[in-house]
Amino acid sequence: MDMKRDYYEDVQLFKSNVVLFWSAALLLVLFTIPLYTPNYYIYLFNIIMVHIILAVGLNILVGSTGQISLGHAGFFAIGAYGTVLMMTTFQLPFVLAILIAAFIAAFFGFILGLPALRLEGPYLAIVSLGFGLTIMHIIGGMDVFGGRMGVKVPPLDLGIKQLGISWILTTDFQKYYLILITTIIMVVGARNILKTRVGRSFVAIRDSDIAAEVIGVNLTIYKTLAFAVSAFYAGIAGGLFGFVLGFFDPFTFNMILSIIFLVMVVVGGLGTIAGGIMGAALITYLQYDLLKNIAEVPYFGALMVAVSKQWFTVVGLENFSSMAIGLIMIGIIIFEPLGMFGVWIRMKKYWMTWPF
Amino acid sequence: MTLRKKVPFFFVAALAVLTVAGMAQAAMPAGFDDNEIRIGQWGPQTGPAAPWGSVARGSKLLFDIVNEEGGIHGRKIKYFIRDDMYNPAQTVGVVKELVERAGVLAFVGGVGTASGLAVKDYLAENKVIWVGPVGAVDEYVFPAKPYLFAVNTLYADEGSLLAKYVVDKLNTRKIGILYQNDVYGKAGLEGVKQRLAAYKMGLVAEIPVEPTEKDMASQVLRLKNSGAEAVILYVSPTIAVIALKTSATIGFKPQWVSSHTLSDYPLMNKISGGLWEGVITGAVGDIPDSKHPLMVKYREAAKRLAPEERWGVFYYAGIIFADPLVEALKRVGRNLSTDALLKALNSLTGYQTIGPKINWSEKQHQGTDSIMIHKCGPGGSYIKLQDWTANDLAAWKK
Amino acid sequence: MVEGLAIGACYGLFATAVVIIYKTSEVVNFAQGEMAMFSSFVAFHILSAYQYPFWLAFVITMLFSILLGILIEFLFLRPAKHPSILGMIVITLGAEMFLMGLASWKWGAEQKFFSLPLNPSVTYEPVKGMIITNWAIAVFAVTACIMLFLYIFFKFTRLGVAMRATQQNKHAAKIMGIRTERIFSFAWGFSSLIGAVAGMFFASRATLDPAFMMEPFLRAFAAAVLGGLMSIPGVIIGGALMGLIENFFGYFWPHWKPIIAFIVIILVLCLRPSGLFTKHYVKKV
Repeated sequence: MDMKRDYYEDVQLFKSNVVLFWSAALLLVLFTIPLYTPNYYIYLFNIIMVHIILAVGLNILVGSTGQISLGHAGFFAIGAYGTVLMMTTFQLPFVLAILIAAFIAAFFGFILGLPALRLEGPYLAIVSLGFGLTIMHIIGGMDVFGGRMGVKVPPLDLGIKQLGISWILTTDFQKYYLILITTIIMVVGARNILKTRVGRSFVAIRDSDIAAEVIGVNLTIYKTLAFAVSAFYAGIAGGLFGFVLGFFDPFTFNMILSIIFLVMVVVGGLGTIAGGIMGAALITYLQYDLLKNIAEVPYFGALMVAVSKQWFTVVGLENFSSMAIGLIMIGIIIFEPLGMFGVWIRMKKYWMTWPF
Repeated sequence: MTLRKKVPFFFVAALAVLTVAGMAQAAMPAGFDDNEIRIGQWGPQTGPAAPWGSVARGSKLLFDIVNEEGGIHGRKIKYFIRDDMYNPAQTVGVVKELVERAGVLAFVGGVGTASGLAVKDYLAENKVIWVGPVGAVDEYVFPAKPYLFAVNTLYADEGSLLAKYVVDKLNTRKIGILYQNDVYGKAGLEGVKQRLAAYKMGLVAEIPVEPTEKDMASQVLRLKNSGAEAVILYVSPTIAVIALKTSATIGFKPQWVSSHTLSDYPLMNKISGGLWEGVITGAVGDIPDSKHPLMVKYREAAKRLAPEERWGVFYYAGIIFADPLVEALKRVGRNLSTDALLKALNSLTGYQTIGPKINWSEKQHQGTDSIMIHKCGPGGSYIKLQDWTANDLAAWKK
Repeated sequence: MVEGLAIGACYGLFATAVVIIYKTSEVVNFAQGEMAMFSSFVAFHILSAYQYPFWLAFVITMLFSILLGILIEFLFLRPAKHPSILGMIVITLGAEMFLMGLASWKWGAEQKFFSLPLNPSVTYEPVKGMIITNWAIAVFAVTACIMLFLYIFFKFTRLGVAMRATQQNKHAAKIMGIRTERIFSFAWGFSSLIGAVAGMFFASRATLDPAFMMEPFLRAFAAAVLGGLMSIPGVIIGGALMGLIENFFGYFWPHWKPIIAFIVIILVLCLRPSGLFTKHYVKKV
């Protein structure tokens, strides 16, 4: 059923009318979400989508090309700071600003890709980690970037100031649509990258870089390109993130964030677009919403408070969510090494071959 | 549909829904009703900054006391604490949740400068009052924001007063400073420098330190080599402890002077292994074993209502930040509204409980410029060196 | 200078713990810091709640840390079916979050005081201007002992040789009759023990709180990479270099202290991609 007979079948966006139908249905749901969802969830959706863009980009690097990065918060920061600076200092319109910022991030990605030509595994992890820390530190140390104080984000104006066109997005609803459209474009873009010559080169590098070189994949170009593409995604995500938040300081982009990004990709499923999306959604949701204010949950909360009083400290009860997230992460990897994407494949197989 | 056909479709759909969404904005729930007033606070209860979380729980004690006494004009206070892990992205999330789902009249306290700055404008847009942010930064109050009322003394004022004390009372001319390389540390540095400039003096050493550092050998060595006789600290508790321990091992014994963020003597004395004794700090609250009648009352209430909490300065700082709000609510009376509450807050002058004296007006929302100065005695006990003193050099009052 | 070296030795000691696990199973254990933190908290708990003498508490903690390492390996890593290296890393990250949450729940987030039975103000000054503290001497002594032990262990004991064999080729080792799973348990327990010792040194220098091992772990990981991740003496030298570089540059440019070591490491790795002290092996296709 999943057999591909020719190249064009492989690259088409919708494999069948069924897929097309469900895609359209999903889009419809996504576009109408604000109409029946409480206001405060929109913020969560925005954050999730920003993380999706980043996770999809990171997955191109980690999942498809097989390079590790613990410094993606650095690119994220470049995107956020770059966009805001372009808009405030150079008075550029938003779309141009975010693209320039993303290209700056991509350039830094290219730079980080250079040592990656010789390094692998934990060595590369440390270099990228050092990169992330350095970016955070440089931004924090320079007054152009607002220093440790952080910067306030200007109003999100989609128009062009110089032409007198102004279309300012203020509410989370309006930002939701901007981010949703960007996310869709970026996700479709990532899918297209992976289906082309470039994407196949990435996969070849992941499976064996030396073999890839032998069959004619230029390692220098494609490895650095993978970093640049991934950093570009992070840059776009960072630019949007700044506007979702309205204010940020360098410490927002700390190393823990880089690690969380990596966790999203691995938990979601390495090397697949859907994996990045699912991982970002799940981890963000867990972090931001699930198991918060545990003491206020009926029955269970009271039980936990009693347990805390007996053996633990009540003031530390909130840490229960951290424990739960840790266990969920471990559980997913133990029972499904392919991450949530693996679960999805299994469900699909079960459905398609039912009742056997 | 190919991609090329799809893209315009997205834009049309987006435009259509954008317009709809613009109209369909639901009204915010009100912050109070006939039976309760809803008040919120965020604060890190988990993660590296969790020790600051006791501020939020301290405010809870005050509201519990108020509720026990029958509430405010027939309304009980319902208080929400939300954990944001010291992460501004999460702060925005929890604040939006409280404002848009639960509906809150006001926020009190709120740890974290970045967190505060991230939600400041959102709160103002939604006309939510915010009393007593824990961090003290200029952006909160200059120029005065209509919905934001600051209780805490600015770090610059405190630094200035500490420097004055060191020069006048301790007769020390060689002053060094170890400051955290962020808003908090830099504001303190500025205050100290301003005071020393007035004396036509300079610092012998200005050493920055990163908030996450665990090894202070090189910084302390520089302080020692500068010959500083008094060192002013604007750092986090952990860094202060490392600095003191490192100094003790290399035989560097200056007079340590510190910001009020390190004025939790029992804790500091315990975690520094007794080295904290003799350290002089600023303070924004009376000493914990004070005979002040309100202090006695709160202390007794804490024993009864929250026996698992330690009666530390951060815990009752939560009371100090929330006190003016409760007072204003009492003055408003039964006809509560955001505007009435604003008016009551704006006319609060000379109000003092266990913290500094608060003066707010329409144009000035920085409540105070005073600190006390305490010294850590044996076993982490408190010695009051200087009562409430206002900063005569405070730049913002002119 | 000596202080920097001592800190470096501490990083090195902790990095050894990272390396032992990496050597046997090629997993970078991100939970290492939190395992050490948890063990230090257990020591603190025994000392403060039961008032046992230090050495007794120390022995109990050591036993506990071994048990903790074995448990984490047994409960979290062993059940994973064919995990990728990244999957393993995520499991250790999950374990890290779990331990951190548990410790904060049990002991609260406030900093605690933890001390070794050393008088901190006793110092020696063999050469003018060179001050050696008790703490540094203890660190050097313990590091030397552990190094010596590890050297003998890996060189001469059956278990040590078996561990090396497992690292080189797991399947071949299994065929030769080595119970590789037991080797993994052992490596985790052992690494947890060394980590706990290093953790107590760090805790006595600063304060004890649930997040206190984050920074040292990063530094130790970097030191391990600098040394080459495979050679234990290399790791100790890497750690020492790390401490020295940090303190040297930290003295002149305190502002850049937190990242200077990383920049040096990046430069070193650009020249020697496998660290300073391992042979760069050529990968075969």
